[in-house]
Amino acid sequence: MGPLLPNGIIPPEWNYIIAILIGIAFGYIMEATGFSSSRKLAGVFYGYDFAVLKVFFTSAVVAVIGLYYLDYLNFLDISQLYVQPTYLWAAVIGGMIMGVGFLAGGFCPGTSLCAVAIGKIDGMVFTVGLMIGILIFSESFSVLEPFFESSNLGHITLVDTLGISPYWIIFIMTILAIAAFAISDKIRNKVKKVFY
Amino acid sequence: MKKKKQKNRHVYWNPYFGGFLLGLLIILTFYLTGRGLGASGALKSGVVTMVHTVAPTHAENNAYYSKFLKEGEFPMNNWLVFEAIGVILGAFLSGALTGRLNLKVQHSPKITSRRRLIFALIGGVLFGLGAQIARGCTSGAALSGMAVLATAGFITMIAIFGTGYLVAYFFRKNWI
Amino acid sequence: MSKRYKSKKILVKRRYQILAVILLILAGGLVLLPKYTKSEGISPELFVKNALSSERFINTDLLADRIINNDPSVLLIDTRSEKEFKEFALTNAINIPLKNLLDEDYIDYIDQDVYDVIFYSNDNFYANQAWMIGNRMGFKNLHVLKGGLNEWFNTIINPKYPEETMPKEAFELYSTRKAAGMYFGIGTIDPTMKTGTKKETISKPAAPKKVITKPKKKKRVPEGGC
Repeated sequence: MGPLLPNGIIPPEWNYIIAILIGIAFGYIMEATGFSSSRKLAGVFYGYDFAVLKVFFTSAVVAVIGLYYLDYLNFLDISQLYVQPTYLWAAVIGGMIMGVGFLAGGFCPGTSLCAVAIGKIDGMVFTVGLMIGILIFSESFSVLEPFFESSNLGHITLVDTLGISPYWIIFIMTILAIAAFAISDKIRNKVKKVFY
Repeated sequence: MKKKKQKNRHVYWNPYFGGFLLGLLIILTFYLTGRGLGASGALKSGVVTMVHTVAPTHAENNAYYSKFLKEGEFPMNNWLVFEAIGVILGAFLSGALTGRLNLKVQHSPKITSRRRLIFALIGGVLFGLGAQIARGCTSGAALSGMAVLATAGFITMIAIFGTGYLVAYFFRKNWI
Repeated sequence: MSKRYKSKKILVKRRYQILAVILLILAGGLVLLPKYTKSEGISPELFVKNALSSERFINTDLLADRIINNDPSVLLIDTRSEKEFKEFALTNAINIPLKNLLDEDYIDYIDQDVYDVIFYSNDNFYANQAWMIGNRMGFKNLHVLKGGLNEWFNTIINPKYPEETMPKEAFELYSTRKAAGMYFGIGTIDPTMKTGTKKETISKPAAPKKVITKPKKKKRVPEGGC
């Protein structure tokens, strides 16, 4: 029963090999769907290209439905999967800073690595910027620490937060995603095309 | 923008198809390793390694670096670092197969390369900072988090995209 | 827009609609599927694996060694009845009769992952049952003293003097055991002198109860995320 590595079904020596293989698939998919192009990524905010929204929500919905089916069929124990802790205000403020960074830089860390791989100089500069950002955070950690560690809600999921069955959450998520796809297509037809 | 009829040079996958494959990959990742994908974690390991090489005592005294420095363990020996190497290889493969490999700065025709690079640097710094504060970036926190219905994933996703739409107006010249 | 282009566009639209419906059916399926509660505790496969693991039993020599060295991680649990416990018990052991194993007062002793819990009874029997129950509940670091107290007497308290023909190791083991027995307060009996050790003569050492403050259980191990 999965997850396989933590339960020792696959020996730990495979850990890094699996990491590289998963990374290759991840990079290939991102590049092939156009995530190495910052103008395509930024399109979601101006309505000329909704690839980010479509890829993002399709994958999230497919993944969550698949994981819950695997859990239902007993191939996987969903309670063993890693859920990152929710630090409410850190997540909100960090997300907002990332939002501004996204618009200014046009990448996120994963996509910038793809851009680096195919020779985009802006991607390389962005990646250097990322490292500087991490450096700034680490150096000022003593100042940021109280905020960083505050409002810890633990490893919670929407099931805990909303108090409804995960299956209903998934169903609602799916409807919202499909609605978002339909609306995004409507918007795109109205917005002036941008070629890049 | 040029008015003449013009097609996008890049032919990318259908986003739904890409999203579907990415979703399957996330399932596979969780099934194999019990955790999701990530990207900024690898860069963090890189920074920790660099600082530790340049100024070891400084790194050990810093409360944040020292979290990732364990006795007798190389900070680059990390799942996410190997995954990031894979990402670069995979993206290179895709770019090579479709002929998208070339060294250039991609930018809107309305701005100069210089301006694009300056903004890319600023964006990178902000993104790096934000990803550390929120404990994850778009792939690690938002995407993988949403796949397991983690509250943090949804909050981060809404914060990133919500803020993006709020500030989009100010950056429009860079993109449209 | 040409007519052909338009009809193609409608076709594509139709395809997306079908895909959307499939996705909705899949998501709806999760809501509608009959629910069942998964059995609690560890899976049968893992249970078998644990049962066959060499970690399950700890032998008396190793235990004696750990007690003598004041290994703080050892937590001895006596699964026999209270009466038997009062007659004799190992140093620092805690008495949890098998029938009280899952009582609220005692559960914290076995449901933790700080100490190496070692069950013992007169032989393997009660200890093994306690081990199985605990393991089924998914508790960690549970062990059984192999052979129980009988083995303890035969090996530590009153070790058998090896035969002349036995290898050197047997004599070494004997002297270690004798020294250990001495530590437990009964080693003065020389087996070359014919004496039947009487269990009743053993005085129970004053056993201060270990106080365990249960550490907060972490549901998931935090790792660096993205």
